Amino acid sequence: MSFLTPTCRRLVAAAIPLAMLSLGACGDAQTDSVQVGYRGTAMEQNYDHGDLKAKFAQVKIPTPLPPAGESPPGPLPWQNVQVLNDISVGEFNRTMVAMSTWVAGTGNCAYCHNIANLASDTLPNGKPLYTKLVARRMLQMTRQINGQYSQHVKNTGVTCYTCHMGKPLPNGLWFYSSQTDYLRHYLDRDGARVVTQQVTPTNMNRSSVKQTEWTYALMMSQSRSLGVNCTYCHNSRQFASWKEAPPARVTAYHGILMLRDVNQNYLSPLQPVYPAVRLGAQGDAPKAQCVTCHNGAYKPLYGAQMVKDYPALWGRADWNGVPFQGLGMPADTATAATDSTAKLATPALPLVKASSSAAPATGAASVGTGNMNRP
Amino acid sequence: MLEYQNLFTRVQVRTVPEAGIPIEDSPGGRAGTGAFSYLAGKFGDAQIGPIYLGTAGTFSLLFGFLAFEIIGLNMWASVGWDPVEFIRQLPWLALEPPPPQYGLHLPPLQQGGWYLMAGFFLTVSILLWWLRVYRRAAALNMGTHLPWAFASAIFLYSAFFFQPLLVGSWSEMVPFGIFPHLDWTSAFSIRYGNLYYNPFHALSIVFLYGSAVLFAMHGATILAVARLGGEREIEQITDRGTAAERSMLFWRWTMGFNATMESIHRWSWWFAVLTTFTGGIGILLTGTVVDNWYLWGVKHGLVSPYPAQNTLTAEQQDLLRGRYQGTAPDSFPTYVAPQPAMMLDSTALMTPADSLPADSARVDSLATPAAAGPAAAKSPATPAGGKSP
Repeated sequence: MSFLTPTCRRLVAAAIPLAMLSLGACGDAQTDSVQVGYRGTAMEQNYDHGDLKAKFAQVKIPTPLPPAGESPPGPLPWQNVQVLNDISVGEFNRTMVAMSTWVAGTGNCAYCHNIANLASDTLPNGKPLYTKLVARRMLQMTRQINGQYSQHVKNTGVTCYTCHMGKPLPNGLWFYSSQTDYLRHYLDRDGARVVTQQVTPTNMNRSSVKQTEWTYALMMSQSRSLGVNCTYCHNSRQFASWKEAPPARVTAYHGILMLRDVNQNYLSPLQPVYPAVRLGAQGDAPKAQCVTCHNGAYKPLYGAQMVKDYPALWGRADWNGVPFQGLGMPADTATAATDSTAKLATPALPLVKASSSAAPATGAASVGTGNMNRP
Repeated sequence: MLEYQNLFTRVQVRTVPEAGIPIEDSPGGRAGTGAFSYLAGKFGDAQIGPIYLGTAGTFSLLFGFLAFEIIGLNMWASVGWDPVEFIRQLPWLALEPPPPQYGLHLPPLQQGGWYLMAGFFLTVSILLWWLRVYRRAAALNMGTHLPWAFASAIFLYSAFFFQPLLVGSWSEMVPFGIFPHLDWTSAFSIRYGNLYYNPFHALSIVFLYGSAVLFAMHGATILAVARLGGEREIEQITDRGTAAERSMLFWRWTMGFNATMESIHRWSWWFAVLTTFTGGIGILLTGTVVDNWYLWGVKHGLVSPYPAQNTLTAEQQDLLRGRYQGTAPDSFPTYVAPQPAMMLDSTALMTPADSLPADSARVDSLATPAAAGPAAAKSPATPAGGKSP
């Protein structure tokens, strides 16, 4: 600024902070405020166009593989197929290929398989193929999520890619430590609730302020995971009130139930399978949290419905009320299969149910099957 | 240039320091003869000292130092004695009260024992400082307005001790730490159903904001009439000068009413004292008499009703009601990871272990049917397959 006179320079120096102040006061015209509650209650969501566009652009949805062609009927020709034995050969191969890019990222079968013997659960040297064991459990988990937690995943569902996004290790895996105490509420307790539902104190609710802070931390982790603020799910004048809460909170609640099921029944029990390098400081298996699937988006992958192209991962018999074409093998064929591996897979079948039965009440009740609600 | 010199002068006098009036009833003398500080003169009187510390003051500083050290060293220990991390994370570091499962029992040092100790020393320090304030006021033959105003603040401070005592858990107390105590504040409000609806909280805010407004009004008024002798405000109570006349007329003109040169100080004193006093009452009522201030507000017509955002069936509401957080014996911060269920056998995969600890079977009355029978009927069919080859 040597061409400016000192006076000019002083003026410019004074103007810059002033301009910054006034711009800040004007706000960003590129932000949309969407009202999500009753007027005058500050129930709104703010969406920053540039921010949202950038994040949206970062999400790469893999092109679905071409549909599987006609396959010979009857049981699968392979041994040791424990989960995906209720689909056609073509659909099976298609799903395997998809998984190799979704999860391994490389399209390499050897990430999970012993190439010499694809059916084997061990390497040629006899060491267990932990990636294959984990992948098998993850397939069961995916079906469980899509089939049982329609209250949370609706008709969008999840695939391996929802969390993995081309990486073997999804984002946001967590282990036990003093820093993740709040996340243990997903696992150990049905315990996010701390606000008394009546005026006076009783012994029913002895939750402490400290426990409230855990809930708070849990809620903040959800908020960050979804890129939303409190009012996405709550009327902040009374966080506990369902009546005043936006409907998204019901979806989120089923997400917590889902995560508890996923962590308790699918991820934690894999602990003996993992090599030590995959375990936490306390020797526990990696576990999932909201961000693992959501990755900062209010809907994972911004609502891309990948699973409708992969019926093998769909735990329900229909998609949006239309029966799935790919779930080829009739149930009686599967149960009639004689080898023990087919029997193993039968629990997957009860999961396949028409989503018409997932009306709010019954759907909600069945969602809790995992750990709490069966009388 | 001639400059009218008053209380607000920019001129700093340099002479023999003012020793103060002789006081007969003074245990121990004042230390030093006083010195001058240019910087202090920018804000008030340029003279620093002589200082009187006395027994109460000495012990107050001693106990305060102890508390400060315990808090600081615990924070430092929490980052593994790393000096860089200590500075970097300082705003987030905390000395936390005992975890909930200790109730009102004495916890081990690492689990809140240090906290209780630091809290005790800090309290002793504050009380001793109050004693010092009281004694100095009495020694100068002043009124005791200052110690009683201070006592009101101490009342609010002690409410954060007595409320946990009434509720029956040390864990309710406020953590020592910069952000942690703010987090506590918001968690406290959420736990008790939004303190916004606590009328004593509201009163406290009224007096707090009112104090600020009164302070601004009074300060501005006196500064504005300083050129007319307004700094002699107390004299002008009885010997009303033009400064008093004009400032009082100003307020009668602008808002129809004026405080007097004396009463404005009583207004200020009461507003300040009532800020912390009503606040303390609000804290003591929370969790003891009222557990959900929002619902209290609903009951008493304080809450404006909005249309429901959600229409939930009764069954859904029961389901969504869930359970309260239990006080799990494995609570923060020492936690032993649960033994993972055996999994190697594929069969085991199909029978998820019921991992709800017994204590979380504690349920809210309305959710009882949904939550009964923790282990009952999980999976329809447990398959009888063997491990894969």
